[in-house]
Amino acid sequence: MPNFEDLRKEAAERIAQAQDLSDLNQLRVQYLGKKGKVQDLMKNMKNLSKEEKPQFGKDVNALKQHVASRIEEKREELAESEMNMRIEREKIDITLPGRRQTAGNLHPLHIVTQELEDLFIGLGYQVIEGNDIVDDEYCFERANIPKDHPARAMQDSLYIDENNLLRTHTTAIQMKVLEQAAPNLPIKVVCPGKVYRRDDDDATHSHQFMQMEGLVVDRHITLADLKGTLEFLARKMFGQDRQIRFRPSYFPFTEPSVEVDVTCHICNGKGCPTCKGTGWIEILGAGEVHPNVLRMAGYDPEKCSGFAFGVGIERIAMLKYGVDDIRHFYTNDKRFEETFKRFE
Amino acid sequence: MLISRKWLSQYMDISDLSIEEIADRVTSAGFEVENVYKLSQGTNLVIGHVEECYDHPNSDHLHCTKVNIGSEIVPIVCGAPNVAAGQNVIVALPGAKLPGGEIKEGVIRGEASNGMICSLLELGVDPHTLSEEQKAGIEELPADAPVGDHDPLGYLGLDDEVLDISLTPNRSDCMSAFNMAVETGAILDRPVTLPDYAHAADGGKPTQLHVASETKICPHFMGKVIGKITIKESPKWMKELLSASGVHSINNVVDISNIVMLETGHPMHFYDKDAIKDQEITVKDGFDTDYTALDGVTYHLEPQDAVITNQGKPIGIAGIMGGDDSKILDTTSGLIIECANFNHVAIRNTSRRLNLNTDASIRYQKGIEPLSCQKAMDRAVQLLKEYADADEIEETVEYGSDGYRPKTVTCTLADLNGRLGTDFTFEEVCDVFKRLRFEPEANGDQIICHIPSYRTDIEGKADLSEEVIRLLGYDRLPSTLPLMEMTEGKLNPKQRMIRQTREIFTAQGLQDCITYTLVSTEKKDNAILGIKDPIELSIPISEERRWIRTSILPSLLDVVAYNHAHSIKDVNVFELSDVSATCGACTHLAFVLSGSLQSTRWLDYDVPADFYTAKGIVEEWLDRIGINARMVSYVVNKKDTEHFHPYRSAEIHVGKKCVGLLGQIHPKYAKTTDTKDVIMAEIDFDALFDVKKSKIKFKPVSKYQSVSRDISFVIKRTVPAEDIIREIRKNGKLNKENIIRDVEIFDVYEKAPLPPTVKSVALSILFQAENRTLKDQEVNDVFDQIVAALEKKFQIELRK
Repeated sequence: MPNFEDLRKEAAERIAQAQDLSDLNQLRVQYLGKKGKVQDLMKNMKNLSKEEKPQFGKDVNALKQHVASRIEEKREELAESEMNMRIEREKIDITLPGRRQTAGNLHPLHIVTQELEDLFIGLGYQVIEGNDIVDDEYCFERANIPKDHPARAMQDSLYIDENNLLRTHTTAIQMKVLEQAAPNLPIKVVCPGKVYRRDDDDATHSHQFMQMEGLVVDRHITLADLKGTLEFLARKMFGQDRQIRFRPSYFPFTEPSVEVDVTCHICNGKGCPTCKGTGWIEILGAGEVHPNVLRMAGYDPEKCSGFAFGVGIERIAMLKYGVDDIRHFYTNDKRFEETFKRFE
Repeated sequence: MLISRKWLSQYMDISDLSIEEIADRVTSAGFEVENVYKLSQGTNLVIGHVEECYDHPNSDHLHCTKVNIGSEIVPIVCGAPNVAAGQNVIVALPGAKLPGGEIKEGVIRGEASNGMICSLLELGVDPHTLSEEQKAGIEELPADAPVGDHDPLGYLGLDDEVLDISLTPNRSDCMSAFNMAVETGAILDRPVTLPDYAHAADGGKPTQLHVASETKICPHFMGKVIGKITIKESPKWMKELLSASGVHSINNVVDISNIVMLETGHPMHFYDKDAIKDQEITVKDGFDTDYTALDGVTYHLEPQDAVITNQGKPIGIAGIMGGDDSKILDTTSGLIIECANFNHVAIRNTSRRLNLNTDASIRYQKGIEPLSCQKAMDRAVQLLKEYADADEIEETVEYGSDGYRPKTVTCTLADLNGRLGTDFTFEEVCDVFKRLRFEPEANGDQIICHIPSYRTDIEGKADLSEEVIRLLGYDRLPSTLPLMEMTEGKLNPKQRMIRQTREIFTAQGLQDCITYTLVSTEKKDNAILGIKDPIELSIPISEERRWIRTSILPSLLDVVAYNHAHSIKDVNVFELSDVSATCGACTHLAFVLSGSLQSTRWLDYDVPADFYTAKGIVEEWLDRIGINARMVSYVVNKKDTEHFHPYRSAEIHVGKKCVGLLGQIHPKYAKTTDTKDVIMAEIDFDALFDVKKSKIKFKPVSKYQSVSRDISFVIKRTVPAEDIIREIRKNGKLNKENIIRDVEIFDVYEKAPLPPTVKSVALSILFQAENRTLKDQEVNDVFDQIVAALEKKFQIELRK
């Protein structure tokens, strides 16, 4: 009579020792196959009595199931350990750099221009641009700077012929805007653009630079309105705690004219090298539009008034980011440009 | 403009104010004080007398002295080579603070030293005003100097403090000390008393002098003969004021001409009477001759220059500089005074051309007030009488007139407050006008201001409002926002498309750049897609900045070359900018790729800067700005094979129009631009802006299965891929519906064993119907139809 218990033990031992799935498959054939050891037991059937046969059959079946379930358990165990090994083999160095899709970024002067544009769009201003080349009538005469005016000596211009030049200030755009709009009110525009002067390029001068001017004309626009507007601008560009102050100045196209200072954003007005110890930084020029300018454009200065201001984009960018040389903006060194990659 | 405490103190009491306070207040009223300085510095000083002086026993250059300082005799060791017994000197006593530090009692090499004998340099005096001897040694005071006096700087007149004021162009009237004093008084709100010199030049003996002008440049000329004067040293006050203004004292007569110019702002010229023949002076132009002026330099006079002449010969360059022949000498015994007005533009032009700026020309260029001719003449005669014993004074002769008409400006309080946004009172405003000597007159609610002759800047109410706010103070200006009807803030469509384009290009890895508009002739000649007829500056800044560019790429290639030269390999840049020519301005977009656009080397990940990367960038951009891909084609570049590699570049066409060029740089052009194999493009942005773009419209996504079929064939190498795709798309009709959704090329093979005339192309075609799932047979039919068309058109050979 075969010893079921021995066979069961032997099978269990060998299953337990199986190293991998193919070992286990061999064992399945050896024990459970058609010519396997368990099937072999059935050969003993013929030697058994009729009474013994059912019990024997049951015992063989039980053994068969037992071995099969041992094999299944082992198979799961092996599959899991094989997956674990695979996972381990698949280990990567997560500190290696990623496959990066590098984006470029806007030029810092465009960042500042857009920021200013958006700020004024939010206040209801339209953005108007113009051509680099302008008629000197719009660049000077209309801005109340007649041909022999001393202010002409302040800016040496780049003429292309007797009447046309590269604009020396974005005021030239405003004069067109005014003329085209007259006599309609209100006017509320900002005019960004490139401007040109006969200057040798150095750390603080550039023959080409960018300005943005703002112009508001309506029935009762006051110098106090200008102050409120510029306070808004100073706070948006340099921080909520900024104060501004007006100092009297002179521009032919505004009267009164003012230079506008903002409390230093580096030292909060205490005095530091950036503000040369004064606590204040000059950021722009502005004023009430000169009556002559309104008159020449076709408005009656008795019936309307306005303010105008002009910002140097480079100046704002230099102050905001601490850039020490204006030429950086036009060299387009990749390392300089990438400084302005992140959003702020 | 330099004005000192002593200058101002002549006209008003400012003894209670520090110079810094004055500077602050003047600055905040529109007169920016750029610098404040003292003529000299030093505390605890005394005038001493050197009683004894002998060589220091332990030194080869020091001296030991005994100095009488009035109250006692102190020992001082002194290193100056010129110190000697018997001199009167300036002594800094222990505790004195000098620019170089504090003086202490001490022992120098064994000898007691209780102070220092000073040079003016050590007292902080500007070295430019000192002689070499003064700079090298101690200052020797006159023999009658008051020994024991504790204010040697005051004794020397060096105790002044100077304001260096930057005048705005509209206030050049304040180049006159009188006017600056009135202004300062108005700002500080205190009374100002100017010298009374009106009518001082009235009267006189009959004269032979004849003055005239034969040029428009000189509309007004006054002359006067002073028959007798005495040349001598100027009075102390005059020397001090000149020194505070940076002017050297010469003699009383020359100093008077200078002091009158500083006081009234009007330059005048004194001629030696004997040097002017026939007592005739005429202003002329039309010369073309060389002339040697007072400074010994020979200048070439041109016809447009105004010249002062005597008997037809130049004796001075009008308004700029006199001549050597007629200048005041120590022997001069009589004068002819010239006091004239000249056109400021003419003087500016002559002065610029000759590169000759004098105190006179600077004042004439800025414009002289109409009445100052008379003022200067009166003041000069007054001073000459008082300080140069002027006698035998003849009557004034005059050519032309001052053309002055008194000016009034009328405003109301509402005008002023309305412009400013303030609520100043009638009294406050009138007080400002009084301080400014506008003599305000109230007439109902109107204020009539009588504007002084020198305030040529005051023309209307707006100007008055500025006077009010700057004198009452900008700190009283409220802060409000404009109260007006609602306006829409916005960008126009082109501005929006520019922003979108910058965003799309940066998102694809390109850097936004700004380069200069002005370029060299070489760059102008290498314009790519340049517009016709470039514009040249009439006076270029330099060769590099001569032309207004018609194309961006040459400048952008410079950026690439610059970065390459700085070891930056991957340079991918773009610029969107206006370009201009005679016909007007338009907007271009240019970009350059070099190295890799994207790369992670350890992963072998690389998006190379090649034609197809550049084309992909353009495709993505056009797609996103709404230009339908079906309108766009890439055509063999015939337009510009000088700058582009002829077989690796394309014209970009939208509809039938060529809108741009794209491709690899021509190796020859690459050499001249210091760039290698870069890929570049220049595109007419305006042309793309003008293309009508369709609106976004949602189309339901088909619910039905799509079917894909691959096809691979051999075809003539010269057939462009685009033609193949177009032919396939054309033949996708099933009944009336085109069921082709997409055609994708997934392989192109051109190498052996294929013969060189052909290539193998493999494509995948995606079929889908709108409203049902396609049957196999239907797809096969269409597919066969496509194959047949390709066979017919291109003689393709299918690969199985």
